Amino acid sequence: MSVPRARLLDLMKAQCQVFATTFNPEGIRMGNKVLRQRLKGPALAAYYPRKLASIKDVKREFGPVLATWDDAEEDRFEYIEE
Amino acid sequence: MSMFRAKKLDLGCFVKARTIRDHTKRKVFEEHEAERQALRYVIRNTTLPPRTRATAQLQLSQMHCYTRPTQIRNRCIMGGQGRGVLRAFKMTRFNFRMEAMAGNLPGVKRASW
Repeated sequence: MSVPRARLLDLMKAQCQVFATTFNPEGIRMGNKVLRQRLKGPALAAYYPRKLASIKDVKREFGPVLATWDDAEEDRFEYIEE
Repeated sequence: MSMFRAKKLDLGCFVKARTIRDHTKRKVFEEHEAERQALRYVIRNTTLPPRTRATAQLQLSQMHCYTRPTQIRNRCIMGGQGRGVLRAFKMTRFNFRMEAMAGNLPGVKRASW
């Protein structure tokens, strides 16, 4: 029992409509595989850890409102005093 | 290239010139990835006129080299080295050993059987 080609093509067409792919029975190269690829830029750009807020930034931002201490800065002052 | 580089240092890991350069390349690639993929699509689409495809080829080859993904190389976040970097830990094998033995890497332990 053979199925006519036209009927198979109709089936393929319906398949393409349902799964939102391009109908291309001859297998012509349309470059759709490029469009199907996922963008890898965000993953690559997130490789190195980004700079977080430092104590200096917090001090500059909140100034007189928030009192905190900076160990490295205090060490530096001690070193200068010696 | 300096026109792509961030004006203010935005890296929180070990910093050296090559790390900054690689980071810049990554950001530039992310920015231009959609454009590159569009050009690649036009080049690979055989139903388009040959002239369009040829111009797309030219455009793609004349984009700045920093927009190319092959320029990116994984570097060690502890020491900035470019060789012997374990992808899963973003570290060189020696730094990985040091961190693993200090117990800083969760789930990593010495093999023994």
